[in-house]
Amino acid sequence: MIADKEVVANPQPEAAPAPAGPPPLTVENVTKRFGEGPGVLTAVDSISFTVARGEFVSVIGPSGCGKSTLFHVIGGLTDATLGSVRVENETINGPHPAVGIVFQEESTFPWRSVIDNVAFPLELRGVGREERHAAASRYIDMVGLHGFEKRRPSELSGGMRQRVSIARTLAAKPRILLMDEPFAALDEQTRLLLGDKVLQIQQQLEQTTLLITHSITEAVQLSDRILIMSYRPGRVKRVVKVDLPRPRTSDVISSREFGACVADIWSDLREEASRGLAESERGSG
Amino acid sequence: MAATAQITGAPGQVNLSVSTIRVVGALVLLGIWQGLALSGFFFRDVVPPLQKIAHGLVALFGNGAFYSNLAVTGGELALALVIGGLAGLLVGLLLGGSELMSDAYESWLSYLGPTPKIILFPVMIMLFGVGSGSKVAMGAVSCFFPIAISVASGMRGVDPTLRRVGRSLQANAWQMFLKIELPAMTAPLVNGFRLGFGVAMIGVLLAETKLSNQGIGFMIINAYARFDMPQMYALLIVTIAFAAFVNAFAERMVRRFGARTI
Amino acid sequence: MGTRSPYLAPVISLGTIVGALAVMQGLITAEIVSPYVVPLPTDILASFERVVVEEGIAGRFAVTVGETLAAGLLIVLVGIPIGLLLYRFARLRTAFEPWLATIAAAPLVLAYPLFLVLFGRSSLTIIVIGFAAGVAPAALPQIFVGLRLGLIFCLINVVGVEFLINLGGLGQLINDLAERYDLPGTYAAICFVVLASILFFAVLGRGEKWLQRRR
Repeated sequence: MIADKEVVANPQPEAAPAPAGPPPLTVENVTKRFGEGPGVLTAVDSISFTVARGEFVSVIGPSGCGKSTLFHVIGGLTDATLGSVRVENETINGPHPAVGIVFQEESTFPWRSVIDNVAFPLELRGVGREERHAAASRYIDMVGLHGFEKRRPSELSGGMRQRVSIARTLAAKPRILLMDEPFAALDEQTRLLLGDKVLQIQQQLEQTTLLITHSITEAVQLSDRILIMSYRPGRVKRVVKVDLPRPRTSDVISSREFGACVADIWSDLREEASRGLAESERGSG
Repeated sequence: MAATAQITGAPGQVNLSVSTIRVVGALVLLGIWQGLALSGFFFRDVVPPLQKIAHGLVALFGNGAFYSNLAVTGGELALALVIGGLAGLLVGLLLGGSELMSDAYESWLSYLGPTPKIILFPVMIMLFGVGSGSKVAMGAVSCFFPIAISVASGMRGVDPTLRRVGRSLQANAWQMFLKIELPAMTAPLVNGFRLGFGVAMIGVLLAETKLSNQGIGFMIINAYARFDMPQMYALLIVTIAFAAFVNAFAERMVRRFGARTI
Repeated sequence: MGTRSPYLAPVISLGTIVGALAVMQGLITAEIVSPYVVPLPTDILASFERVVVEEGIAGRFAVTVGETLAAGLLIVLVGIPIGLLLYRFARLRTAFEPWLATIAAAPLVLAYPLFLVLFGRSSLTIIVIGFAAGVAPAALPQIFVGLRLGLIFCLINVVGVEFLINLGGLGQLINDLAERYDLPGTYAAICFVVLASILFFAVLGRGEKWLQRRR
């Protein structure tokens, strides 16, 4: 049972000049249950938060805490049992054009070249070939894959393929960028480099971003705010504001403040992760 | 062992050995044939000597009737592939796209698939007459099954993440199909057509041997009736070689498209 | 999304068959479709008994099975040793497996007139064609998969050739009934052969699963 540390109300973003208008993303009392009756599984329970314009928010939690479920609900890939998700003022009830999704798994089209992959969202909208290739080139440069336009995904490394996926999602110019552990399958060094790259792009585009991750250092490196989730049923256990200076250079990352923030989050996370471990050992799967 | 010892030799040496084995094997088989042919063991031209077979091949290619019959069979085969292929594609998409449809009907495909379609020929004659129609029908029914089965399986094999990408980018159903599902299942699709081509060819040709007055199948059975063995051998060699060639080509295509995965 | 009833799929499946037969019955009774092209489903059903009894289905079945078994035996006797030889000697395998694969995929049944010439119009021809169709797949080094495939090809070709040369068991029955213009009987015989082949493959499938479990 989660006791005192539970934050119930919507945490208001105290970020710098809050722009006028509704927040790009509002998650309100979202609950997701699977099954019915005694065997019902509550993956996510009454989660509420908002993401302000240009903000980078991470959702972190132990394995099995429901963060992937939350990702699917916000992405419109599955319906919430209760509650709603709003993009500005529109309630979403399916994949929304304003929400761009980067998946954890391999998601590039193997039969298309890099540039045709990245230009795909524009192709779907009927943009002409010249125009969409020009636009795609911009994003390919942004993710650092200049020169690889004509290559096939099979010729690229895993990290490069994820960059293609990110570029493709950005090419659709989503108001909200939603990423589900995009670097999970990559090695440590690539993670750090890619995270850095994503941060650069995010800052440059002022892209409102929601990242699902299980890596504390990654969350602290990239985010303005971090939502710590409790183990199943997933609730917002605590919201941590990351006041570290931007840009998050290697100096910042190796600073004492950074380490303190990580340790602070870990203390919460460890409790949840232990609960998760204990439950799976008990075989409740 | 002797075999392994030779394998560990220089790479060039190994390749030569395999070629040598093949040449030796081919020579042995041809030698046995020629021996049987010249032994007088079989009646006259039943096992013709290799020269006669070669002569028959040359004669065939110079024979105008060969080309006109080839055109007939070719036309029937092409139409059969279009009809059976389209039907197979549609049914395959339906079954592969819906678990309910698959549970209800896919077992029909796997049970009816391996049955000999030629026994349906009398029905085809009743429905489509004794002309090309029944031959096209035979070919179409034959190739429908492997294509439908491959397409259904291919549809199910499409990476669900790729479909999710399409959904998240608001692809409509047509775009999903044309730009994501179809390219994703190119390899099984081509494979289905490879198998379909083979059985369609058999279906059309056997039907022609049974009841027809034109086509390659007719030429074969006609040669049999006239005891023109060299021509019959020539026709069979050309037909089977053609089937083998198409099959090999299609297999290479399948490998190429299969390589379009990560 | 909810779970669907386990009865829904079989009901759809069976329902389609019954429905299609009912539609055919209606169309033919209304003379929209000529009964000389497609007989009434009820007539076909009625002729089942006649075909089984008068045409000696059991005997014909035995002939077809006998030919298949004989060809199958030859396949095993010739194909398995070749397969083992190739399995044993890697270089032989590299040299000849492509040839074998080509032969396995080749439409050898087209050469049935040739076999007629070589072996006469007899059961021997049928057996040899069955053997020829099945031996190449059976000899391919994946022994068990190949053997199963070889036996399937063998059966298909045996029935097919019986039909084509009008000799033998079940295949010949269909041809015979067709040439006698016994349309309901022809359809019934076709149904019977299809049912028999379905049964054969179902049994084969079960046998395979059983064998796999025992491994």
